[in-house]
Amino acid sequence: MFVIVVGGGKVGYYLTKELIEAGHEVVLLEKTRARAVQISDEIGSVVLARDGSEGSALAEAGANRADIVTAVTGDDEDNLVICQMAKHHFSVKRTIARVNNPKNESLFRHLGVDEIISPTRTILGAIEQDIPVHELLHLADLGGGDLELIEAHLTDESPAIGRTSADLAMPEGCTLFAYIRDGKAQSVRAETQFRGGDKVIVIGRRDCEDALRGTLIGEDEDTSSL
Amino acid sequence: MALNGATIDRLVLAYAAALAKPSKADLIALHVVEIDWTLPLDASVAGLSEEAQRVLDVAEAHAERLGLHVEPLLLKARDVGAAIVDEAAAQEADVLVLGLPYRTRFGGDFVIGTTVPYVFKNAPCTVWVVREPMPQEGA
Repeated sequence: MFVIVVGGGKVGYYLTKELIEAGHEVVLLEKTRARAVQISDEIGSVVLARDGSEGSALAEAGANRADIVTAVTGDDEDNLVICQMAKHHFSVKRTIARVNNPKNESLFRHLGVDEIISPTRTILGAIEQDIPVHELLHLADLGGGDLELIEAHLTDESPAIGRTSADLAMPEGCTLFAYIRDGKAQSVRAETQFRGGDKVIVIGRRDCEDALRGTLIGEDEDTSSL
Repeated sequence: MALNGATIDRLVLAYAAALAKPSKADLIALHVVEIDWTLPLDASVAGLSEEAQRVLDVAEAHAERLGLHVEPLLLKARDVGAAIVDEAAAQEADVLVLGLPYRTRFGGDFVIGTTVPYVFKNAPCTVWVVREPMPQEGA
């Protein structure tokens, strides 16, 4: 597989190294000449000292025959432009972008970036899993981001307490999937009755979060987006 | 010895021959065809390959006139310098001889290019660089 990596920071460097070790053909675009030379000295002549957000640089890197273009610079705007050019100008099959500001994720998705990697959101998720908060936690994106896996922490005040899953009027597009009680994960059945302390795993559409919060957590909770 | 198809190749060959002849050392004539990233490395580049073969044929014929045998070696690579260094390491070469055309950029500054500095920095063996003589004034 031929992969173009744009951005020679830590992520781009290790990504390129790993891909080469896995036997893939890789070219890395890094606009800072000194950094490009440094990487080239370490991993070989697979580095072009060019700005990957310029079409001519992508062309020189062989975007016309690339299987994947992955934009991992520290700049969301650059990453979006790179993926847009790769997709629409060079017809690259798959584009992957690093998104630093989680608020930009929906824009990237809307503009057709195939895969979005958000280190910020991943770390946020990890922190939230370790700290008991009475909130909806985003666990993972499914199916390219239209669906997500959400964890709801139920308290004694949650409207779902004492009710069975069959009794709950789940929002359109949300499905109860599993629950974790006393550290043990179990499938949700129609007769499953929820208790305070349960963690309920839901598969739902991203735009259903507020309605889901009302059903499982209660309206008093902060409804700000995750 | 690394050959690039320019007139300097004759000088490179002459110096490499002078070096190899007394010790009856093996002489390898290496020519690297640089393939840009728009093509796979194994792409068929007919015109380039023919030209590359011509470079090696000329070197072989010239060596024969000097009473030497050279082993021609044609490589395709993304970067000429890296390919020369890798091959020198693979062949466990004792000496690498390469040519440097005398070129200046607008304004008169000498241009050394990227291949020679790369080889200087990375080649595991002794490196000889044969620089072309300066062109005569008004030539």
